[in-house]
Amino acid sequence: MTQRLLIVDDHEGFRRTARRTLARQGWTVVGEARDGATGLECADRLSPEVVLLDIGLPDMSGLDVAEQLHRTHPDIAIVMISTQERGDYDEIASDRGARGFLSKMELSGPALEELLAQ
Amino acid sequence: MLIEVLDLAVSTAWEARDDDAGESVLHPESMRWDEDPAIAEFARLTGEVTFARGEGLPGRVWESGEAMWIDDVTTDENFPRREAAKAAGLRSAVCMPVRSERGVIAVLEGFMIGRREIDHDLVPVLGMMGVGLGQLIERHRAERSEDDVERRHRAILSSSRDGVITMNASGEVVEFNPAAEKIFGFTSLEAVGNPVADLIIPPARREAHRSGLKRYLETGEAKLLGRRTEIDAVDSRGRQFPVELTITEIDTPGEPMFTAFLRDITDRLRSERELRESRRRLVEAADAGRRQIERDLHDGAQNQLVSVAMSLGGARTALESDPAEAAEMLDEVSADLEQAITELRELARGIHPAILTEGGLTPALQGLARRSTIPVRLGDVPDGRFPPRVEAAAYFIATEALTNAARHAAGADRVEIEMAVTDGALIVEVSDDGPGGANVEGGGLRGLADRVAALGGTFEVDSPPGSGTRLRAAMPCE
Repeated sequence: MTQRLLIVDDHEGFRRTARRTLARQGWTVVGEARDGATGLECADRLSPEVVLLDIGLPDMSGLDVAEQLHRTHPDIAIVMISTQERGDYDEIASDRGARGFLSKMELSGPALEELLAQ
Repeated sequence: MLIEVLDLAVSTAWEARDDDAGESVLHPESMRWDEDPAIAEFARLTGEVTFARGEGLPGRVWESGEAMWIDDVTTDENFPRREAAKAAGLRSAVCMPVRSERGVIAVLEGFMIGRREIDHDLVPVLGMMGVGLGQLIERHRAERSEDDVERRHRAILSSSRDGVITMNASGEVVEFNPAAEKIFGFTSLEAVGNPVADLIIPPARREAHRSGLKRYLETGEAKLLGRRTEIDAVDSRGRQFPVELTITEIDTPGEPMFTAFLRDITDRLRSERELRESRRRLVEAADAGRRQIERDLHDGAQNQLVSVAMSLGGARTALESDPAEAAEMLDEVSADLEQAITELRELARGIHPAILTEGGLTPALQGLARRSTIPVRLGDVPDGRFPPRVEAAAYFIATEALTNAARHAAGADRVEIEMAVTDGALIVEVSDDGPGGANVEGGGLRGLADRVAALGGTFEVDSPPGSGTRLRAAMPCE
């Protein structure tokens, strides 16, 4: 299964590692954005099916980006990510329009597929 | 008069006072005598003696409260100065009490040369004269005492730091002390006779003042009387300012009078406000500091370590299928770990540099100077260690100055750090040659000012546009 993925995260090292890891596991990373505004612009332009969206972004809260993105692109599956543990953000992420939350430590192609299949 | 009528050769006024043993005895208070050596000798002796109640002529009159006439003192059994009187030719004596409501307050005694028969008509007259004289003396004493009270009252009013204003029942000023003149900008002459409301009460509160006074006079119901309160007042220039006010009613006969004690508390309230704001900023700064640490950890090392973990997982997977890629990923792991270590080190140093704790200001500032992107000249750092809070403040002043010089002061080529100990205080001065115009109210400098103030020190920022920036702190070391 190949899905078009956009990574929105301000940490360059993480974007690089996530892109490489997920690409090896069959995902197509169509773009990367380092802040919320660029993420929204990339979502418009690149039409991803899934957006990996960091909660802590330099220009705005990732949760606000999720809400906005869900309103304009309800078909995009938004997965919130953070270095924090899953329990802290599960509920609030789904409240704001995300499909779910993954800790960055758990991030992998299969983990992503499992979350999206729920 | 009596001296002339009776032709008294020696006359003495005796007054009761405590002697060394604490016993009340009669002392000669004032004397008059004829110019004759023998009489002068009797007078000298009289000036040196005292009499207990019932003793000698004055003592007897003191005790009985009745005037006495002795026709021959030289034969009197209860007259200790008998021999001296005989030598001076003094035979007869008169003695009268000076009486007031308090009893006998003095005794007047007079001696005549030669023997004079008792004048039985005169003796009761002497008694009455003593009563009149006593009243006169008491009135004079009371007036003198009132004068003293008045003088003391004036001295207290003049030296009081509080404004003291006395007002009559019509609401007019009857007294306006020098402190009130200073606080309100009116002279006492300008104030006395004018309504208090028009002088020192803000227009918006004048009606309330008038109706409050009226209500009190009619019903005795008071809101301000007898308690301390903070209220706004106004001065001669119309400046409105807070005062601490206490009003008391003076207990005097006649119409009620009120005295207000006022103190300008503008400075006190400002200090309290500044203290509250400073505390609030310190708390906020501490919270902001914790948030910044969380953000730095999250954005930096935490993400680096996540990347490391993911890359290690990827490298293990790729190890057999694509060794070249696995090697590339391990290189990235190594770089990420190095970066994470650097970021953690910087973060720890920002929280509190270990070298400052271990080695004090000298090595900590040397390290700061070494890492600075702008050349730093570090002057002599005073020997020895200072209290940790002082060392931390000094270090963060230097850090903030360097950060500002690097961030804002485009054109700063040099930073100088000077330290000295003067009068038990560590003086820290950091200056740069940048464009100046630093924002004193900005978070960093404001935070330093609060930090230094919390240590009981002073903090100055001198940053005129175009002339560089100089930070100077003086912090007590004890």
